[in-house]
Amino acid sequence: MGKQMTEMLKGTLEGIVLAILASRPAYGYEITARLREQGFSDIVEGTVYALLVRIEQRGLVDVAKVPSEKGPPRKVYSLNALGSEYLEEFWGTWSFLAERIEQLHHDIEHPHDEGEN
Amino acid sequence: MVAKWIETLTGSLEQKKQYKQDKARIDGLPEPYATAAKAMHRYFMYFGGITDGDTLMTMFGDLADLWERAAVDGTPIRDIVGDDPVEFAETFAQAYTGKQWIDKERARLTKAIEDAEREERK
Repeated sequence: MGKQMTEMLKGTLEGIVLAILASRPAYGYEITARLREQGFSDIVEGTVYALLVRIEQRGLVDVAKVPSEKGPPRKVYSLNALGSEYLEEFWGTWSFLAERIEQLHHDIEHPHDEGEN
Repeated sequence: MVAKWIETLTGSLEQKKQYKQDKARIDGLPEPYATAAKAMHRYFMYFGGITDGDTLMTMFGDLADLWERAAVDGTPIRDIVGDDPVEFAETFAQAYTGKQWIDKERARLTKAIEDAEREERK
């Protein structure tokens, strides 16, 4: 993954993972797989695991241990009320940030149509 | 009752037992996962800075979970730790930093600045 991409993802991956869990509960590997499907091809499982540990410690998700075909039970994470609240705040922050950055981008590329805004 | 008295001298026996169990899980991993997990375990002893026993036990338990799962799934080591194992280990450990020795210092710094600010207003 590009260095800039890694840095930018750091601040947003938490929200992205909570958004994935909002659609349905999942275990670590499923989340990594979904992120890869969506184009985050270089994301490693450990990054997602460390993030899941963090959001579990902060009480944003509930954890259920589900027996697996082999090996130890898998931890299935689901969004709880506190997580939903956090996710809502994340979307608000994201919209604000995306809008401001897009505006900045537009202003720099088209400095002459300032009057229209 | 006796156990309680002993624990005031030795620290929590339950925690010691838990620690030994988690260490055994890590030592019992197949290679190369055992090497990777042991290296992280060692690093946490230096980096962690977590003084609270319960938190430390949770962290070591999760570390064993992580590598046991990776071993069963055959996940490549690099898919777990990424390009920078140090960064990975520190990110992992930071999830548990609820009660760190540095927290006391953080509170102290915050208070000192507040005191200074009050002086400024006088």
